[in-house]
Amino acid sequence: MSGNDQRKIGSLRDLPHEIAPPRDLWKGIEAQIATGPKSAAGTPAPGASRPVRLRVLAAAAVIVALAVGVWIGRVMLPVPGGALPNGSGMTGGATGVTASNRPSDEPGAFHAAYVMGPKYINQRAQLVKDLESRLARLPPQSRAKVLTSLKAINDSKRDLERELGKDPSNALLQELLVNTYQDEMRVLTAVHEAGRPGEGI
Amino acid sequence: MFIRTQAWLLIGACAATGLAHAEKIEQRLTVQPHGSVEISNVAGRIEVSGWDKQEVEVRGDIGPGVDKVDVTTDHGRTSIKVRVPNYTFRSASADLLIRVPRDSELDVSGVSADVRVTDVEGELMAKTVSGSINADTFGRDSEIKTVSGDIVLRGRSKEGANSPEIHISTISGSIRVDRVGGDVEATTVSGDINLKLEPSRSIRMRSTSGALGFEGKLVKGASVDAESVSGGLTVRTTHDGSLDYQVTTFSGDIKNCMGLEAERVSKYGPGRRLNGTRGNGSEEARIRLKTMSGDVELCDKS
Repeated sequence: MSGNDQRKIGSLRDLPHEIAPPRDLWKGIEAQIATGPKSAAGTPAPGASRPVRLRVLAAAAVIVALAVGVWIGRVMLPVPGGALPNGSGMTGGATGVTASNRPSDEPGAFHAAYVMGPKYINQRAQLVKDLESRLARLPPQSRAKVLTSLKAINDSKRDLERELGKDPSNALLQELLVNTYQDEMRVLTAVHEAGRPGEGI
Repeated sequence: MFIRTQAWLLIGACAATGLAHAEKIEQRLTVQPHGSVEISNVAGRIEVSGWDKQEVEVRGDIGPGVDKVDVTTDHGRTSIKVRVPNYTFRSASADLLIRVPRDSELDVSGVSADVRVTDVEGELMAKTVSGSINADTFGRDSEIKTVSGDIVLRGRSKEGANSPEIHISTISGSIRVDRVGGDVEATTVSGDINLKLEPSRSIRMRSTSGALGFEGKLVKGASVDAESVSGGLTVRTTHDGSLDYQVTTFSGDIKNCMGLEAERVSKYGPGRRLNGTRGNGSEEARIRLKTMSGDVELCDKS
C-alpha cells in the first residue's frame, strides 16, 4: 500500500474484503503435487532403508528392555502382598482397602473440635498415606483381620459422630469418640511398624 | 506309563530338594546368672522354656530361606537371631526350641511366628504381627503385643509375689488372661477380652467392637475401667470394703445384681446409667463401665 492506495482507515469496514495475489500461484502448486510422489517412489535415495532398519532395531530394543524390567520386577524383587489367597475376603485392590475400612484423609469435624493439633494431623495424614503399602507387607490373613478392625473403627466413628450431631454436648459420646480416634492411631502406627521389612511391632 | 514314571521322578526330586534344604541346628552356651535373652524369628515357631541350668540351648529346624541362626552372649545379654535375606523373608521359616535359665528376662519378637513361653520367671516382652502368643507369667512385669494374633497369658505367681504391671494389646486378636494379679491393661479393637484375675489393683480394658469380660476380686482401693463402643461388657466381681460403681451407656441395656434400677440420663434423650455404692468401708473399690451401644452386665462373682 503506497501512493494513491494510501488512505486513512477509520474502522474494520474500511478494509477490503479480499486481496488478490499479484500472480496466479495455483499452477505452480498443481505442478508440484503432480511430480512429487513420482520422484519419491521412483529412485530411492541411497541409504533410505537404513532408517527403517534402525527403527525396527530400536523397537526391538525397547521391547527387550521392557521384558527384562518386568522379569526383574517379578522375580528378583519382593512382591508386596503377593497374590491374595481365595477366601481372604478382600475385594478392593491388592490390599483390600475399600471405602468402608480406609480411614478418611481428614479427621471428622467433631474430632477436629476435640483433639485437633497440627502434629497429630500431619502424623495421621502420613500414616493414612502409607497404609496401603504397609498393609501389603503383612501376611494375607493378618491383613484381612486388620481391615476388619479398621472397618469397626470407621463404623464406630460414623455412629458416634452421627449421634454427636444430634447431641453435641454428650460427654460420654465425646469421650468414646476421642478414644476411638486414639484406637485408630494405634492401628495405623502398629500397621506402619509391622509393615517395615525385617522388623516387628 | 513313561509319562507317569517321569512325573513320579520329578515329584521325588522336588521332595528330596526340599528335605535337603531343611536343616537342623543345636547350639548351647553358658550364660551369666540373672541375664536377659533376646530372641527374634520372622516366621515359624518360638518355644521358650525355663530350666535350672545356667545355659541357653537352641535347637530346631530352619527352612530354606534362612541364612543362619546367630546365638551370642555378652555380659549377661544373650541374643538368638534368625537371619534372613530381605528378599526371601516371606518363605523363610524356623522352628526354635529354646531353653533358658529360669530367672531370665525375655524379649521375644516375630512377624508371623507363634510364640510360647513356659516356666520363665523373669520379665517378659513379646511381640508378633500375626502370630499368637501363649505365655506364663510369674508375678513380673509383662508387655505383650500382636496385630492380629491371639494372646493367652496365665499367671503362675507364688504367694506374696510382686504386684506386676501387665500391658497387653492387639488390634484384631482376642485376649485371655487367667490368674494374673496386679495392674492389668488390655486393649483390642475388634477382638474380645476375657480376664479372670487374682485379687487385682487396677484393671483397664478397652475395645471398639469386641466384647469385654472381667471376673475377679478387687482389693481395697482397686479400680476397674472398661469401655467399648459397640461391644458388650460383663463384670463379675467380689470386693473388700465398699464398692462404688458407675455404669453409663448411650443406647445399650444395663443388667445388674446390685439391687438398683438403671435410670435414664435425660428425660427426653437416649442414655441410661447406674450409679451406686455397695458395702461399708472407707477404702472403696471403684468400677467405671462405659459403652455406646453395647449391653452391660454388672454382678457379683458367682
